[in-house]
Amino acid sequence: MPADRIVDGIIDIFRRVLETDGVHADSDFFETGGDSLLATRVLSAIVRDHGTELTIAEFIESPTPSTLAKRIESVTR
Amino acid sequence: MTVIVVGAGLAGLTAATALAAEGIEVTVLEARDRVGGRTQGIEVAPGQWADAGAAYLGERHTELKALITRLGLATAPTTMTGQSRFAVSSATESVDGRFPPLNAIALGEMFELLDELTKSVRADAPWLTPDAERLDRLTAAEWAESNLHHPDARTFFPLFLGEMMAADPADVSVLHMAFYLSSGGGIRYLNAFKGGAQEDRVDGGAHRLSELLAAKLGDRVRLSEPVTLVEQTGDGVKVRTGTGVYEGSRVVIAVPPLLADSIDYSPALPAPRSSNVTARGCAVKVHLVYPKPLWRDHGLSGWSVSADGPLLSTVDDSPPGGVGVLTGFVTGAEARTFAALSEADQRAAVLAQARGLFPQLPDPIGYHVTDWVNADYSRGCYAALFGPGDWLRNGPHLTRPHERVHWAGTETSTEFFGLLEGAIRSGHRAAAEITSAVR
Repeated sequence: MPADRIVDGIIDIFRRVLETDGVHADSDFFETGGDSLLATRVLSAIVRDHGTELTIAEFIESPTPSTLAKRIESVTR
Repeated sequence: MTVIVVGAGLAGLTAATALAAEGIEVTVLEARDRVGGRTQGIEVAPGQWADAGAAYLGERHTELKALITRLGLATAPTTMTGQSRFAVSSATESVDGRFPPLNAIALGEMFELLDELTKSVRADAPWLTPDAERLDRLTAAEWAESNLHHPDARTFFPLFLGEMMAADPADVSVLHMAFYLSSGGGIRYLNAFKGGAQEDRVDGGAHRLSELLAAKLGDRVRLSEPVTLVEQTGDGVKVRTGTGVYEGSRVVIAVPPLLADSIDYSPALPAPRSSNVTARGCAVKVHLVYPKPLWRDHGLSGWSVSADGPLLSTVDDSPPGGVGVLTGFVTGAEARTFAALSEADQRAAVLAQARGLFPQLPDPIGYHVTDWVNADYSRGCYAALFGPGDWLRNGPHLTRPHERVHWAGTETSTEFFGLLEGAIRSGHRAAAEITSAVR
């Protein structure tokens, strides 16, 4: 999957879980109303859509769609 | 005209206050020797109070916030800084934040499923939810059995439901679970402290709300008057208590459903308020008092979650600038087991668990247990637990007046059901029904 498609997919997950359209490639999940409970939903959606299992710690280190996409790419490459 | 209000909890006192403000005479009959219902204060140190019952509120609890302001009360933020303690797997460990050290993806799958259910429910009329019959037939325990496959999700689900709604998953229908989560503002809002339903407490205790409302009503509030019979005659209502008969033109029953069904009605109700599968909300609250919030010195928040009881979770409920108070929640199936123990066995179990969770702390200097499961004049807390069939059979009747009998209580509010906010909204609704009917 091309990198920008992965980013778009994660933006969609963020928007659905955070219930806001105000999410962009560089939006920080935890500064956009996210908390650890909602973060687990993102992790499970990433497994469903990309087959990549990330930990909460990895998510906290990469809390934006673009940084998460890079992690997914580096795992799936 | 006189309106008789049965129950001097927050719902009944709100209704009575609203009616009195319209110039209507009210008499409030309370079974206990105190007001407040499922709110109750414990004086943990001279002049310092903790909540033995309902305690928390958030930004969306607009009626409650308005009442707090109107009564001249203040709120105190719940504090949640530092590490949490978890005993959900083999070891007891300290973790940053509030999230348990369990498989996050498995818990995420569970929350995705719960969120989908929560969004599918018609919170204003659960019985009209698409697929309501199936969801009302199935218990949350059966749902978990067929939908949660990872052991960590199975471990966490009953803890989550215990914390959210004081329910054993076997006691509630899937429809009730989904309704409760939706009514309270969704899973994230209900679960959160900061930015959620546990953001603040009432400074001095939530029982102050009822005490101040009752003080303004003065001798219109009669204590130790358990109601046994509500009899509607041609043009009025007679309410019988242990000591006498009160006559009025209308009555508001502002007690929980299981308690409302212990009153006799003539003519009889068209549908019961509860059934033999309506369970008592299963909560016992334990307060551990320390000279000050000592856990903070060790970088701990006081928040803990344990897979085994009695204290399934603990939270820092210290009064601002005062003694340290850890509130332990004993909920769900664990509450029934714990409530059945002798006082000595309860104490031993609590202290042993507190030592394991917080080995850095000395034993508490104060210890209080409040058993809501067996409280005769509440019959459970946070709220009644609707079992299979309850919503479809009884739900449509919960708010519908029975001629001159009106209904209040947090279980009659489809918004913030089971919470302080729901109680207040129900009281306003019942009062508005009466004022619009008599005009």
